[in-house]
Amino acid sequence: MTQPLQAKQVSVSFDGLRALSDVTLDIPPARVSGLIGPNGAGKTTLVNVLTGFQSPTTGSVVCDGRDVSGLSAHKLRRLGVARTFQGGRLFKDLSVLDNLEVTGVGLGLTRREAASRAVDMLDWVGISHLMTDIAGSLPYTDERRVGIARALMMAPSFVLLDEPAAGMSAHEADDLADLIARIVKDMKCGVLLIEHNISLVLKICEHIHVLDSGELIDEGDPAHIKTSEKVLHAYMGTQGDVDMQGAIL
Amino acid sequence: MSTTKHPSVLAQTVSTPVILIGGLALIAVLTWAFGSNIFGRTVTEMFIRVALVVGMFTFIGNSGVISFGHAGFMCIGAYGSAWLTIPPMMKKVLLPGLSPMLANAELTFFLSLIIASLFAGVIAFAVGLILMRLSGIASSIATFAMLAVINTIYSNWGPVTGGTSSVVGIPITTGVWISFGGAAAAVVIAYLYGISRSGLALRAGRDEAVAAAASGVDIYRERLIAFTISGALCGMAGVLYAHFLGVVNPDAFYLGVTFISLSMLVVGGMSSLSGAVIGVVLISAIIELLRKMEKGITVGEGTLSLPNGIQEIAIGVVMIVILMFRPGGLTGGAELSLTRTSANDGYSKKDQGSGNHPDNKPRR
Repeated sequence: MTQPLQAKQVSVSFDGLRALSDVTLDIPPARVSGLIGPNGAGKTTLVNVLTGFQSPTTGSVVCDGRDVSGLSAHKLRRLGVARTFQGGRLFKDLSVLDNLEVTGVGLGLTRREAASRAVDMLDWVGISHLMTDIAGSLPYTDERRVGIARALMMAPSFVLLDEPAAGMSAHEADDLADLIARIVKDMKCGVLLIEHNISLVLKICEHIHVLDSGELIDEGDPAHIKTSEKVLHAYMGTQGDVDMQGAIL
Repeated sequence: MSTTKHPSVLAQTVSTPVILIGGLALIAVLTWAFGSNIFGRTVTEMFIRVALVVGMFTFIGNSGVISFGHAGFMCIGAYGSAWLTIPPMMKKVLLPGLSPMLANAELTFFLSLIIASLFAGVIAFAVGLILMRLSGIASSIATFAMLAVINTIYSNWGPVTGGTSSVVGIPITTGVWISFGGAAAAVVIAYLYGISRSGLALRAGRDEAVAAAASGVDIYRERLIAFTISGALCGMAGVLYAHFLGVVNPDAFYLGVTFISLSMLVVGGMSSLSGAVIGVVLISAIIELLRKMEKGITVGEGTLSLPNGIQEIAIGVVMIVILMFRPGGLTGGAELSLTRTSANDGYSKKDQGSGNHPDNKPRR
């Protein structure tokens, strides 16, 4: 896919409460973008809108030049928009292999074909030793890695990673950064990284979007975000001139 | 291409239906060799219940949605076969409202078994087009409403169904071996569905509906497929039942059979095929034992008998105890298997669905 995944002037209201206001954002193909913001900024709501789990109240979502607003999640996945979840949300009663196979059969493969692709993906991510484990028995970090492998099945055009580094050690976060770089390099997949680990975002994202109280308050490259007054204000309130990187880490 | 080997689903799981059918075959052989006529009828009835409960499992076990309406498909299958096999002369008297094609039909048992089962499947598909859009408790209540609607139609459409009167004249063909064949066929079909693409996708949706949708699974479609297959299997059980008794009545396919069959599924383990079969065998054995004790057992010079109705009470107590101490049923959701597998390619380890629904969208 050569065109970006776009949110155009997206607003979402829940019973009068405005969760997103006129958010416009592009996720370009084969690049890593970041989405940051304090708790309650609307990051997950935006991810839900971009992946078909939430219809925008106003505005639109465009994929491959086509308006896909209101399309259901499974149909958007078939168009190549994949995601992970904050809580993992693995199919806990199924094996790791089956967790990946589900995406294969969901996208039209036979079980044999899906199993073969799933094995390849587990190898690629480096977790083939987990293949026969029951997903519900995995430790937290492995659960995250399986969630990413499941999302990457069938080479999606875009993948939205919702807090993949939560609970990871610095070493594990470095491994995750390497994996994300490989996703872009090997799969030519556009990545949106939603994270509270700002150092990770600043390290690997080429372009970063900042949400606060449902509004996109700033965007730019890491150098710009590090020095942005608006971003600092969103994270630190009005406490003055504090170095962004030092303050948040 | 990876060099890592992965086990074939079929090779990993085929021992489950082999064990289950083997166990049922053993019961059939022992009954044929040593059983009395009355015991033969008990075993025949048990095999019919295996077909019914396995049919219910195909939907309930894989989707996690409890259905109270599957006895309705049994009713549709039973009456469908009655329409196709009762001699035309009798139908003119008993069921004068039948269309000429049905009124003049007098098919063989096996042909009517296939047609009536498919008819139940078609009705399940039509009803499922609407009901499968619902989820959780709403879906379960809707299946119960469907059962009430089917019962009301069959109880009141007198010229076609005979109303609340019993429809007689159905050729009695179902014995131990035919009912065993029906039960074995149900086990094989349920197993094949379980290892199919649709079965895997539906179980994923049962565990995590939101994640399944994010994996490209159309849960509505998968539920509809399972509901249709399970409707046809329950219809087949209805045909077997009609040709076992030789008479059908709408109330035979209402609350009583719904309670008993769900009890069997819960006791055995709602999310495993083995649980469905084991639950039927166990509860059938308890029912038979209590039935004998209600009639009275001679002890010395006296007769020990239990009060009537003790069967239902005992089944209720067994179900409560199982739910309290082993919520996953006796099998805990595991399958009987000869191979040691950590992965449950066929069926799940746990029992109940998460209650998730594709419409339960994750929100901020």
